[in-house]
Amino acid sequence: METSFAITGKGYVIVAADTTSARSIIKMKSDEDKIKTLSPHLLMAYSGEPGDTVQFAEYVERNIRLYHIRNLYALRPSASAAWIRRALATSLRSRKPYSVNLLVGGYDTSEHTPHLYWIDYLGTMSEVPFGAHGYGAYFALSLLDRYHDPEAPLEEGLATLRRCIDEVSKRLVVTPGKYKVKIVDKDGVREVEL
Amino acid sequence: MSIMDQNGGSVIAMVGKDCVAIASDLRLGNQALGVSSNFQKIFPVTDRIYLGLPGLATDVTTLKERFRFRVNMYTIKEEREIEPETFAHLVSSTLYEHRFGPYFCEPVMAGLSKTPSGGYKPFIAATDLIGCLNFAKDFVVAGTASEKLFGVAEGLWEPDLEPEDLFETISQTLMNAVDRDAYSGWGCVVHVLTKDKVITRTLKGRMD
Amino acid sequence: MARRYDSRTTIFSPEGQSFYAMEAISHAGTVLGLLAKDGVVLAAEKKVTGKLLDLSATKEGGYGGSGEKIFLLSSNVIGGLAGLTADANSLVNFARNAAQQHLLSYDEDIPVELLAQRLCDMKQGYTQFGGLRPFGVSLLYAGYDPHYEFQLYRSDPSGNYSGWKATCIGANNGTAQSLLKQGVKDAIGLALRTMSKTMDSTTLGSEKLEFAVLTLDPVTKQPKAKIYRPSEIDALLEKEGLAKKDEDTEMKPAA
Repeated sequence: METSFAITGKGYVIVAADTTSARSIIKMKSDEDKIKTLSPHLLMAYSGEPGDTVQFAEYVERNIRLYHIRNLYALRPSASAAWIRRALATSLRSRKPYSVNLLVGGYDTSEHTPHLYWIDYLGTMSEVPFGAHGYGAYFALSLLDRYHDPEAPLEEGLATLRRCIDEVSKRLVVTPGKYKVKIVDKDGVREVEL
Repeated sequence: MSIMDQNGGSVIAMVGKDCVAIASDLRLGNQALGVSSNFQKIFPVTDRIYLGLPGLATDVTTLKERFRFRVNMYTIKEEREIEPETFAHLVSSTLYEHRFGPYFCEPVMAGLSKTPSGGYKPFIAATDLIGCLNFAKDFVVAGTASEKLFGVAEGLWEPDLEPEDLFETISQTLMNAVDRDAYSGWGCVVHVLTKDKVITRTLKGRMD
Repeated sequence: MARRYDSRTTIFSPEGQSFYAMEAISHAGTVLGLLAKDGVVLAAEKKVTGKLLDLSATKEGGYGGSGEKIFLLSSNVIGGLAGLTADANSLVNFARNAAQQHLLSYDEDIPVELLAQRLCDMKQGYTQFGGLRPFGVSLLYAGYDPHYEFQLYRSDPSGNYSGWKATCIGANNGTAQSLLKQGVKDAIGLALRTMSKTMDSTTLGSEKLEFAVLTLDPVTKQPKAKIYRPSEIDALLEKEGLAKKDEDTEMKPAA
């Protein structure tokens, strides 16, 4: 089943999402990238109704890019998250709402702080030290309650993420195989292999 | 499973002697799963009005932003701060605009209104999700623990409490009520408004 | 049919400026802005004065000022206006709405340049078609945002805008600008001294002057706009040694 995690640490946010693309009980693809880079210091992991996810993620991506082009500076993570949340909240009361859950992680270059926002398809938003979506959330959140440290260096953060992934692999009936892991910090966005 | 219980959360407001208090829990849930233990549901509107918004979290945020817009425009055009009674009617009419597709929130307000003699009078009010106002003289409650809050508040509240006693009363009422509600809790925040200051305290609660 | 109306309202002079609108501003009271390291200052000359004018509303309550030239546009931007007052009021309302709309969409104060752009987009629209009259208003925007911190912008009726360290709009703006070129050390003092030299009257007092500053609150680090009340302006002039003396219009030498 679709699962995504994100955790903050000292000056960084790690965002991870599984890479399966499923239709009913069939795995159609196992190398899908479900984390978009919205701006030089902003990542968004998306999951939910197939179709809605990509449509909505691209809509967000292009609007954030447009703001960047028009104003020569990128929208800050807090402002981006607020805009994305509003888009979902407006969509909720439309004829066909987008059914997309998000984890938005970014590094604020004017404040020099990492930020992570947990957003669901209703437009519920909360800034959190760590967050997760999907069935994996039930295992990961309790594990992160125990092991998460907001001041942890990157290596320790990645080790905690590995614990989450291992736990989900061990206990969840339908486990996602591979994960894509991306990091955002003061130097921007990069992908890492676990 | 009501949509009002999707995220959980409760708010209570109480009148004291020349002061008012408003308090809420800090939980944000996704049904039974806890997501955040620092989700604020009470927002300052002016220095003398606080607004609590328990209910569906997406609408909590949307309404908070909409009220901020309306109050800012009111303040900047009128060149004065909005009075609690006026604000209560702003809340009511904003909710009733959506009578047939409502915001799933039940706002609770606490404030101190100016009297003609220059003093301040405690003011509390609550509305239902379509904006029916309830001006109470003692206390108002809302949220997933509202039934429990009614019971405990009925037993603990008494008239003319001083700020510190009111703080103790509202804190005990909220903490004990949310312990009997699975959808509320995870810590509380309490604001006591007096004529010259606002006392804000965060309380630790059971994390289960 | 449209030719029966005056189509020159949107016609440009050889210098590329809209005739009537620019004319309106050159007679308006001076407004000057100064950018300092830790804040922005606006000072304005009031034209509508007189013993019979009811100013009771400006004495207490509100944000201060007399509501003629300096307005709060957003919690992080103050605007100084020169030109047709009625047009200016309409622009102020538009700016306030634009600022709140941004706050609603992005949960952050509108960046100063973006607010200037919003107004200029509209101002430009009124220069393009015959039969419409452009806004006869120039504006100064003094503001703060986390991207570029303190900023000062100026826009004219054509919809042009630009950023400045010190600038001036309205009557006598040439004189003021040459005075401002001396450089900014003490922004409040320089603003007041420049005003005292450019204004027609020989006395400087709250009945002819509006004044505002935007700084950062030392505790919250949030921008804090302050538009001075008449009594505060007089106190400030007193402190700077520019206050008028009773029955004596002679001014003290600038400190």
